[in-house]
Amino acid sequence: MSPDPMSIVVLRFGLAIVIIGLGAFAYWLVNQRLLLRARNNISTLFKAFPNKPVLVYFTTPDCAPCKTIQRPAINRVSHLLAGELEVVEIDATERPDLAKAWGVMSVPTTFVLDTRGEARYVNNGVARAEKLLEQIQTL
Amino acid sequence: MASQALQKVDHSVLKSHQIIIILLNIVAFILNQPLLAVFVALVMGTGWLLKVPGFGFVYKYILKPRGWMKPDVLNDHPEPHRFAQFLGFIFMTAGSVALFAGASVLGWSLVWLVAALAALNAFGGFCVGCAVYYWLGQFHLPGFNKQPPAGTFPGMKPKVGASR
Repeated sequence: MSPDPMSIVVLRFGLAIVIIGLGAFAYWLVNQRLLLRARNNISTLFKAFPNKPVLVYFTTPDCAPCKTIQRPAINRVSHLLAGELEVVEIDATERPDLAKAWGVMSVPTTFVLDTRGEARYVNNGVARAEKLLEQIQTL
Repeated sequence: MASQALQKVDHSVLKSHQIIIILLNIVAFILNQPLLAVFVALVMGTGWLLKVPGFGFVYKYILKPRGWMKPDVLNDHPEPHRFAQFLGFIFMTAGSVALFAGASVLGWSLVWLVAALAALNAFGGFCVGCAVYYWLGQFHLPGFNKQPPAGTFPGMKPKVGASR
């Protein structure tokens, strides 16, 4: 007896869901790995962690969006949080070792660290001031 | 030496093209319709020949006019994206041939591979075909003479205002 065509479609649909789920899980794992790398490399930036949120900002001298969008956004956030946020700017061309250790593939890249030095968010590409503020406020 | 001047590339066209490929490939698998895989391969091949994203017409005539997707114009090289579409066409064609030859597992695996790479590009901003293009460029092969936009990892989506 041949299987019901509808049940085959349902079976294949279920298989598709599993494959998509595995793909989404792999993507999530990659992001988690990036955050883990950042957590493991906190000591490369600080001897004593400042007891406040930290924004680690990777840039390069020839990065146009860093100058036109990311830097002003960070300045705005720093101004709004007035002393409640530590910003660490890293020139990836001067410190390729740090960029490699933190898994940075493009600039700008920003990491948001909580008061205990745990990397909580990573933004690959430009992160607007509103987004950074929202991330910092949820720490 | 080839010009490295960047052009305006609307990444929303590319994204919609990739999403349609993903959807059609998944539907082809669920309904077990190799002909749909052939259709995707043909559209990708035609797009490569015409130097446009194969399913770009959906964005141009439906998604953009209705405001369902907004333009995302970035300074970028179109050539790596064309090469990526060509690679997708080759994989889809190989998958279709395998399906009609009775090698279902191989055929559907290739179809899923194309869908996965399209998803990586659409949602992760990383174009594997473009990365292959830039990698081949290191060997000074004819036709592979563009370099990634400044500050951009080969294959990653360029950031706003990238220049070279």
